[in-house]
Amino acid sequence: MYFQQLLLLIIHKFQGERSSTAPYYLLKGKKSGQTIQDVTYFQLHSYFSLYPKLAKETYEEAIKNLHAEGLIVMNESRVAITEKGLHQIVSIRRPFYSGWILRGKEFIFWGRVELIVQTLSQFQGNEKKFVPVQKSNEIHHFVKVFLQERDFQSSSFGAHFKKQLFHLLENPLLLEIHRNLFVYRLSGYKNSGLTWEQLASHHHMTVLDVKFLFIECLHILLNDITEEKYPDLHALTKGIYVQTPLTDSAFKTSKLFEKGYTIEEIARMRFLKENTIEDHVIEIVSADPTFPLQAFISKEQVQKVLHIAQERQTKKLKIIREELPDLSYFQIRLALTKGEEING
Amino acid sequence: MDKLTEVLKRKFGYDSFREGQKEIIENVIAGQDVVAILPTGMGKSLLYQLPGYLMEGSVVIVSPLLSLMQDQVEQLKMLGEKRVVAINSFLSFEQKEMVFRNLSTYKFIFTSPEMLQNDRFNHALSAIRIAYIVADEAHCISQWGFDFRPDYLRIAKWLQQFRQTNVLALTATATSKVVEDIKTTLLMREPFEYIHSLDRPAIAYEAIEVKDAQEKLAWIIGRVSSTEGPGILYTQSRKKTEMYAHELQKRGIRVAYYHAKMEQDDRILVQQQFQQGQLDWICATNAFGMGIHKDNIRQIIHDHIPTSIASYMQEVGRAARDGAQSIASLLFTATDVEQAFYVAMQDFPEEADIRLAYESENIQLQLPETTTRILDYWKEELKEQETIQLFQTIKQKKWAEILALYTMLQNETCIREQLLRYFDEELTKRPKYCCSKCTIPLQEILVDRKHPPEHKEEMNWKIKLDELLHS
Repeated sequence: MYFQQLLLLIIHKFQGERSSTAPYYLLKGKKSGQTIQDVTYFQLHSYFSLYPKLAKETYEEAIKNLHAEGLIVMNESRVAITEKGLHQIVSIRRPFYSGWILRGKEFIFWGRVELIVQTLSQFQGNEKKFVPVQKSNEIHHFVKVFLQERDFQSSSFGAHFKKQLFHLLENPLLLEIHRNLFVYRLSGYKNSGLTWEQLASHHHMTVLDVKFLFIECLHILLNDITEEKYPDLHALTKGIYVQTPLTDSAFKTSKLFEKGYTIEEIARMRFLKENTIEDHVIEIVSADPTFPLQAFISKEQVQKVLHIAQERQTKKLKIIREELPDLSYFQIRLALTKGEEING
Repeated sequence: MDKLTEVLKRKFGYDSFREGQKEIIENVIAGQDVVAILPTGMGKSLLYQLPGYLMEGSVVIVSPLLSLMQDQVEQLKMLGEKRVVAINSFLSFEQKEMVFRNLSTYKFIFTSPEMLQNDRFNHALSAIRIAYIVADEAHCISQWGFDFRPDYLRIAKWLQQFRQTNVLALTATATSKVVEDIKTTLLMREPFEYIHSLDRPAIAYEAIEVKDAQEKLAWIIGRVSSTEGPGILYTQSRKKTEMYAHELQKRGIRVAYYHAKMEQDDRILVQQQFQQGQLDWICATNAFGMGIHKDNIRQIIHDHIPTSIASYMQEVGRAARDGAQSIASLLFTATDVEQAFYVAMQDFPEEADIRLAYESENIQLQLPETTTRILDYWKEELKEQETIQLFQTIKQKKWAEILALYTMLQNETCIREQLLRYFDEELTKRPKYCCSKCTIPLQEILVDRKHPPEHKEEMNWKIKLDELLHS
């Protein structure tokens, strides 16, 4: 139910202008020009890359169900929410996600917390030999250093850490189910965490529902963690936020623009198609509002595009281009991206 | 206290050796080649771990199963051993380089057979002192079984560069023919052989023929809800693990399913819940079991005829590690033989697959990776017709093996005797509770279920957090 509503919200945001695969790529965090550009066009930052491991079959199943229940209508190229669908989401709680800056890395934070709690719990139970639930070597190493830097075997550290967790979980933005999912997924001495399946069946939900609730829980918690309020927990957020929101490839392209090369030159130097470089430009503009556009499009042209988009209530390139045949699709995309920054 | 027992106590926390362990360890330390066959759960890992502490240099362990390797590394780390590393395809290039540069700092070096062909690894190995080499799951060396790992066979060539180093071969099951293969392939010189009886006297066997799948389900529900576990219910498909778990859950049993398609995190949680006693039963495919460290498993139930007698022994062998009385029950219908054969054949290349593989270089056949490797290996070694013939022979053997198991279950002869005879062993001492054919009152073994049916409590995160961290 939760995941279904989330999908409806996202479909609603796409305003009926994209196909049913667009929300899938959004949730997966596909780093293509189209998806990145849509994030800005439709203000979808919070949902980007929420669940990189989302399986296509699972997603398609969910879409099929929405369709069967008459909550959406769709054809080859478009999916839109129905009256009935709107009704379903009109009064629901708005989910709280920060997909754009976390991109699945909230699970690194989770893994660290999980291993620390397991370690502290095992030591309190006086069973210092144990098999960690966390298998990642990076997390093992990080936690080892973290614990060694603190006097973790002292009872005061344990008490302190627990207190921070407790306060963190009292965040009023959280629902009780968020807190329960978080704590019951943790493992400790003679006390293993529950599987997604077990958590789901306990709440009479689907596995996908509890996973997305769990992710939301992590995002809410992370948003609240500051160095002043939670010094130890803050240390566990190290390196999980996206530094530059650009893909590696777009980043390289942006460096070449800084040196003054043109799209054609960059394409040749990097053995890429010009289309790809254009996608990079869109990505760069989405991420950096100060990036100069003069080389690609004039201010007047941007205004013209935005004016037509406004008047015709559309973001469809084809419709806009019919009125402005002198502009390329790339220029129209650029203008629309810029426009979202101005308005949004 | 002698030196060996002292190390046993200090490093592993045991007071005394189990049967055979000390002899094998002494031979390894003396520089002998050793072949040791011990049933599952008889302390095999101690055999290659302990001598390492009394000898200079690193121990190199070749292990064909990645999941097993991971578990062995974890077990050593749990014993406080930090100088342990697993070198396999999971490591990135940089990680490997890092390990190779510091190879001599590791006491225990685990590696997959594939890595033995890595020149950089071999170069690093040649520069360090090696105490001895361990070939784990050595039966995979034999070309004549379907557990055959071609990369493992290449260990022979690799061993040429370590002629001075002695080798310890370990396996849980091997017929005399396979033992011969192991000795030749590993270039062993008059090895010390230790063959432990495969009999597990604390496990009673029970074979029950039923009419159909429905009767199986009813029997399982009856057994599991009226008698004590902990237990494992083995079935053949992921769907069935979920179906059984669901049916049992409805009756208040603390049960979960387990199969290879689950997320790794969830698989680990299920394992730990079972080990810590939060679950009484696991409904699993044969993916469950490796790396389960639980001594008090009382029941193993199979709802099918397994595709190999060796793997059946291995699955059953997970019971009664603590030596207390346990029971293995197998439910079957008349049509299960064909089903078992069908399952076994799924991984087999058809004649057409083999022809295709010979015709073209890079053909993508719809076969499991292990099968593809075997086929690739024989492609280099044999002509097309010979390979077809070879697989025909393996196929016939497989059919004969499944049929043999079916006969054992169906006839009037003691199950224990027949299982042992399959591995060229005679039963010397019949335990009190033997099998359903020896007409013993098996009901005496089973303990009435004490647990009241579980009812789900409300979740309360504050209470749970207090349980996890109590200060």
